Parts: sequence; structure tokens; C-alpha cells
Amino acid sequence: MLNIQKTIENETANVALEGRLDTVTAPDLEKTLKEILPGLKSLVFDFEKLDYISSAGLRVLLSAQKAMNAQGGMQVKNVNETVMEIFEVTGFSDILTII
Amino acid sequence: MKNKIVSFYQKLKTRLTADEMFHQTEVQANRLGSLMLLISGIILVIILIMTAFGVFLLPLESVLSPAVQAIVEITVLLIICRIVKNDAWWLKPLLLIGIIIVYARLDSMLTHKVAILMVLPVVFSSRYFSRRLTVFTAILTSVVFLFSAAWGATNGMINVNIVTMPAGTVMVATGGFLGDAIKNAGVTDRMLITNTLLFDYLPKWLMFSVTAVISCNIAERGRQMVVTQHDKDVKSARIESELNLATSIQSAMLPNIFPPFPGRSEFDVYASMDPAKAVGGDFYDFFLVDDDHLCLVMADVSGKGIPAALFMMACKIMLSDNAKVGKSPAQILTDANAAICSSNREDMFVTVWLGILEISTGRLVAANAGHEYPVLKNESGEFEIYKDKHGFVIGGMKGMKYKEYELTLKPGSKLFLYTDGVPEATDADGNMFGTDNMLNVLNKDPGASPAQTLKNVREAVDGFVKDAEQFDDLTMLCLEYRG
Repeated sequence: MLNIQKTIENETANVALEGRLDTVTAPDLEKTLKEILPGLKSLVFDFEKLDYISSAGLRVLLSAQKAMNAQGGMQVKNVNETVMEIFEVTGFSDILTII
Repeated sequence: MKNKIVSFYQKLKTRLTADEMFHQTEVQANRLGSLMLLISGIILVIILIMTAFGVFLLPLESVLSPAVQAIVEITVLLIICRIVKNDAWWLKPLLLIGIIIVYARLDSMLTHKVAILMVLPVVFSSRYFSRRLTVFTAILTSVVFLFSAAWGATNGMINVNIVTMPAGTVMVATGGFLGDAIKNAGVTDRMLITNTLLFDYLPKWLMFSVTAVISCNIAERGRQMVVTQHDKDVKSARIESELNLATSIQSAMLPNIFPPFPGRSEFDVYASMDPAKAVGGDFYDFFLVDDDHLCLVMADVSGKGIPAALFMMACKIMLSDNAKVGKSPAQILTDANAAICSSNREDMFVTVWLGILEISTGRLVAANAGHEYPVLKNESGEFEIYKDKHGFVIGGMKGMKYKEYELTLKPGSKLFLYTDGVPEATDADGNMFGTDNMLNVLNKDPGASPAQTLKNVREAVDGFVKDAEQFDDLTMLCLEYRG
């Protein structure tokens, strides 16, 4: 239910998510990030086709944000209304760089 | 003497009775044994009929008697299996010995035509998952088939390929079978038996021994698999009982005696938590800080199940400990965040709405750490979402500061707190219940008591999701302020 597309170029990774990021699918993303994070300078999430994010998904984003704080930067782009509302309610809009 | 027989019987019974975990396996194997006998019996009948009609070229008079005997034995064994429903400690040896004897009898009759008969008992015995039993079967089969081969060499179908004759021997056909002609040509029984054992039984036995080794291996492996499965079953049963215990510990941690403050007529509070799994990550809490201050908490830990439940217990205690020393809501959240962040390796976090009500005045001071907006029924008389200021979730980032806000409850005001399990309850088609539906239910019966309000919402959610599995914990709290 979650489709993860990743492209990596010159220490910059672009990760596009499609579907739902919830308890069931969050471990998939966690595994993908664990593989690509080492040595990464910049991480960009594309949420254009992400329909929903649950607290388990937020946890993975939080881990990624913490890791990228130490080694570069992380951005989230194309956030839709539903997901944006969740970011705002949970205060994640304050700690994520949303463009 | 009688005592000796009794004690021998007891010893035999103990030795042959399968362990509890192998009991089912043994009954299934017995069933397979009776199926095997039934099929063999049918084949025998077919052979007899075809011989009688002359399709099989066998001397009927020498086939009839052993075949009928074998059919009778099979019938007796099948009746016994049927009577004890394949379930008796003595059935296993009885079936194995019976099968060996029946097949040995067929072997002695049809001799070299049915080389494969010898391997059947030992292959079957592997189904009992006991290497010792398979070895026993292999040895017994070797001995019994040795005798049946010797007997069959002269009485069964004669294998003309193993008969050697001096040059110049003249054979006279007497009509009928070649075997008869061979006997008439002066071949002795002794020669037939020796040659059968040497050229028929021995190569057969060598192939048989390979099958026996393979069957032993299958039996041993099957045994290991049953034992492993049994261990897993025991473990999962233990985990389940531990989970049940955890569920009751967790629900006992939340205030669950209603009405909670029988002496207080100024307010009424009701709350409930229904975890999606055995244990959940949601929690509510309420307690009196002092005579005039009631603290209310609604929280949701990221994730579900045991990890969420462990984290939830720590959070609940930390929040109430911080609240009970008289801190303000913002300070409680800030301090709890600092404490949780210092020992949070898994990046777990919790969303918290925490408010402290001054009972005498209705003044409510609250702070929100990434939790759902509270629903408030104030002057307007309608339940409305109260878009309060939001801070970041607790446990996510070190050094977070939280802000508090203030509002005043009037007599008749109500506050409804919930976790995302309510608006995000999902039906089978993936539609969410939503906050609009939630508000509609609340406003259908705005005068209901807190207990009734929670019941109404729960019913509406259940009616919406129907048969879909509850995916998230469902937690609600309703406060009515009477003043």
C-alpha cells in the first residue's frame, strides 16, 4: 500500500512516496532510509502522492530528520492538505522543512 | 506369575503410549495405516477377480487360499481400527505387524512380480515419526520377507530367470506354466530356494536398506518438526496469557471507577479506552491535584501494541508525577519532554493534551503537545472544535518549550477529548469517520451525560466502520462542568 521511489545522486536522495504511510508500511520506509542514509548530505521527500500519514509514519520522519540534522539537511515537498493538517496538529510543521 | 504379566503389560503400555504431543500424529498415522490396508484389500480382490476370469495368468488354486487369508486379516484389522477409532496405544505395533504379514503373504505368492511390496511397511512406519520404530520395522520386514521369499521360491510364481540348467537339458511342456515344466526337468526345491535368496531376495534387500535409511531420516525429521511446532505452540500460548495479563494491568492503570468522585457535584467526568490490539498506546487520565484543581490528560503514543503500551506507562506516570506537585500545564509538558527525551532511543513520541481545571471558577488552563484539537461546548450550546495552540509532540526533540492557554467553562459547558482513533476510524472501503461526523453525533444529543455522550460516539463509530477491523486505539473523555 506504500510505493517508495528513490533516486540518489551526489549524496542527495529524492524519496517519493505513494499511498499510505502507517503502522503497516512505516517499517518499509524505515528499512529503505536505513540503507540510503549513511553518507547522505541532503534528503528530499516528495509527498505529492502520499494520501495519509499516521503516528508510526511520523516517527520514521522524526528519526530521519534527527539523522539529517547531524549530516546535512532534509526537506519535504508537495505536501497535500490532509497530510499538512496532520503535520500542523502534531507540531511536525515546526520541526520539518516543508517547501 | 500374574503380577509379572501385569507389570509386563504396564511396562509395554508405558513404552508404546505416545507423548501427548505425538498423540494426534499417531492417530493420523493409524488412519493412514488403515487406508493402506483398505487399498491393499481392494487390489487383492481385483487380482482375484482378474485371475478368475483368466486375465492374469496365475494358477488360481495356489493364489486363492493366501489371498483370501490376507483379505480376512485385512478385514479384521480394519474392523479393529474402526472400533477404537484409530486411537489405541497397541494399534501401532498391531498395524505394522499386520501390514508386514499381509504384504509378506502377497510377496510369497507373486514373488518377483511385486518387489516394491517389501518397502511399503518401512515407508509407512516413518509416518509415526519415530526412528526406533522404523528401524524395528525394517529389521522385522527383512526377517519376515526372508522367510516369505524362501517359501515363495517353491510355492509361489517361479522366477524362471534364476533357474540354471546343465547344457543339453530337455524340457517337456506339459501345458500350463513354465514353472511346472522347470520342476519336471529336475530342478530341486533346494536350488530354487538358494537361487531365489541369492538373486532375488538379496538385491531386493539391498535396495530395501536404502529405502529404510531414507525412511529413518524422514521419521527423525518429522519428529523434530512436531517437537518444534509443539514448542512454538507452548510459547505462543504463554505470550497470549502474558498479553491478557498486560491488558488487565494496563486498563487497571487508568481511572476506571465511575463516578470517580462521588462527593463532587460540580463536575462529571467519564472516559474509556478500547485498544485495537491486546494493549494500546492511547491513554486518558484525570485526578485531583488539590481540592480545587482537576487535571485532565488525553494522550496517544506513536505506534501500537506492546512497544506503545510500555512507552505509554512511562509517559502516564511522568505526566501525573509532574502534575501532582502543582506545576502549570506548559511546565508539566516541558519537563516531561525533557525527561522522556533523555531516555528515548527508539524515537517514540506521545501527543498530549493536558488541562487543569479550577473547579470553583471554571478556569481551564491547558497545553497541547501535538494532540488532536479538543471539542468544546460553551455558550453557543453546540460542540465545536477548539483550535488551540499546538506544540511539538513529547519525546520527539530535546529542549522543546510548550505554551499554555486559558479558557473559562460556564456551568453546562462540556469538553470532549479524543485520540485520532475516533476521526480516523476507517470502514471497509477506506473512508474515514472524520471530525464532521464526530461533531454531528455530539450535537445530536448535546445534553447527554458524559457517559451517554461516549456511548453515542462509540455507537456511531461502530455503525460507520461496520465489519472492518478496528485499526487504531479508540479513546475518549468527556467532562461536564456544572459549576
